[in-house]
Amino acid sequence: MTAALRALPTVFSIGLQRQLAYRWNYLLRALFSAVPLLVSWVFWEAVFQGKETVGRYTLAGLLTYYAVLLIVEAVSSPADDDFQISREIREGMLNPILLRPLPYGLYRGALFLSGRCAYLVAAFIPVFLCFFILSRVVHLELASFDILRGLPALFGSALLQFSLTLCLSLTSFWFLDISSLIFLVYSLEFLAGGHVFPLDLLPAPLFTAARLLPFAYEYWFPAAALCGTLSHREWQIGIGMQFAWAIFFLFLAHLLWKAGLRKYTAAGG
Amino acid sequence: MLYFIHLLKLWIIQVRYAITRELAFRANFFAWVIVELAWFVLQLAFVGVVYQHVDSVAGWNRYEMIVLVATNQLIQQIFTAFLMPGLVKLPDLVRTGGLDFLLLKPAPPQFLVSTSSLEIGPLANAGIALIVVLSALHSLAITPTLSATFTYLLLILAGLFVHYALLLALVSFTFWIVQAESVLLGYYSIFQVARLPREATRGWFRVIFTFAIPLLLVANVPASVLIRNAKITPILLFLGTSLSAALLASLFFYLGLRRYQSASS
Repeated sequence: MTAALRALPTVFSIGLQRQLAYRWNYLLRALFSAVPLLVSWVFWEAVFQGKETVGRYTLAGLLTYYAVLLIVEAVSSPADDDFQISREIREGMLNPILLRPLPYGLYRGALFLSGRCAYLVAAFIPVFLCFFILSRVVHLELASFDILRGLPALFGSALLQFSLTLCLSLTSFWFLDISSLIFLVYSLEFLAGGHVFPLDLLPAPLFTAARLLPFAYEYWFPAAALCGTLSHREWQIGIGMQFAWAIFFLFLAHLLWKAGLRKYTAAGG
Repeated sequence: MLYFIHLLKLWIIQVRYAITRELAFRANFFAWVIVELAWFVLQLAFVGVVYQHVDSVAGWNRYEMIVLVATNQLIQQIFTAFLMPGLVKLPDLVRTGGLDFLLLKPAPPQFLVSTSSLEIGPLANAGIALIVVLSALHSLAITPTLSATFTYLLLILAGLFVHYALLLALVSFTFWIVQAESVLLGYYSIFQVARLPREATRGWFRVIFTFAIPLLLVANVPASVLIRNAKITPILLFLGTSLSAALLASLFFYLGLRRYQSASS
């Protein structure tokens, strides 16, 4: 185990070098991720015509939420880790990894971390520009910005997204092509995760149901925690749910990995 | 003329091959239908949530907005069926040198890149989107005239040209950037603009997305034809800009192709 932990910085470094080799890809990705914010701004401005608030949000509050969502996405969303893992399993590329004294979950975790670091570097300028431009046009509600509650929620979101990605990808042991499954979960993450609109705009029963699902803790919860719109009690329940889901998916991934290895056929040299 | 018939024959062969392949993987076919349907439901759910709080957005009521969103979905699904699968493979073909095999074939590279892959599944979702359009029109108590229906179909075709132009231009960046997978994310991100009511926009945003990249016209003009008997000026503007966009994207593709260096030995 100590040897495995000693190897992690090397895996991280290799992952980082691999990601930075395609830095233009990352920069483009970061730039394009700002477009939905622009679209939301234009659309919600039209919705707010002649209205002070929609639900409990002012226009500035809503735009702050979407802007903070960019930070959440940059810190916690996996890039193409799901497709990479799926390819490794499908094309028999696990062989060299299985021979190393390094648990696969830790190996992928180090690569996920390196990917996030590379993306954060690429996304820094576009995200900063988004905040700067928005703050010139609307009065962003940053006074209630809560780093102390936001950071654990951000970390929990990254852990949850990584563990969910791991579970989805490991189904490649049984299915030839899992891209449809991945995109189906993406759509659920977008809707039930609060990516398209803050979940508290939903009618109360739907909002309650959404908070029982893991997706709410991927985007909505960390964004709301950072914006400082949650009470301490709501934050405590949220962080508990978030880590409970993350641990559940990590455990499920462990079971899938064990079962999958029994089915895996190593092909090629 | 004979040349175009030759290309049409080639395309029909590819469609036939795609149908055979899709039917061989029926589970995958249905899985993708469900995935695309889920994204459409997501858009409709968003409309539902917004109209819980307001009665009108930029002069569009709930059902008019549904016509707009479903029209956009209709165009996108037809595009996803016939042109998108081929285009998204270009970055991989360039990186691996697989483009060599297409360049050696006796047909224009742009045609082969655009039509080399097809998916039939999205057509089922295009059908669902059309049903949603008709159902929303029924709720608005609108029965489209024959000329409005014909114009709508013509504008759907123009919308396909805009989708095609944007994605072709984006994937052509692959000739300059080795790994350009993020361009697909770019396509989906930028195309969110097409779902906006044009009246909601103003200033430079409106000018850019009407004249330079005519996304604000893609679903707005056809939807307006059905709902509000759109004037001839925006229709002509849309037809003109969609053709220009497709031509410019084609030029950009060939400019990039000149930089292509085979990756194989």
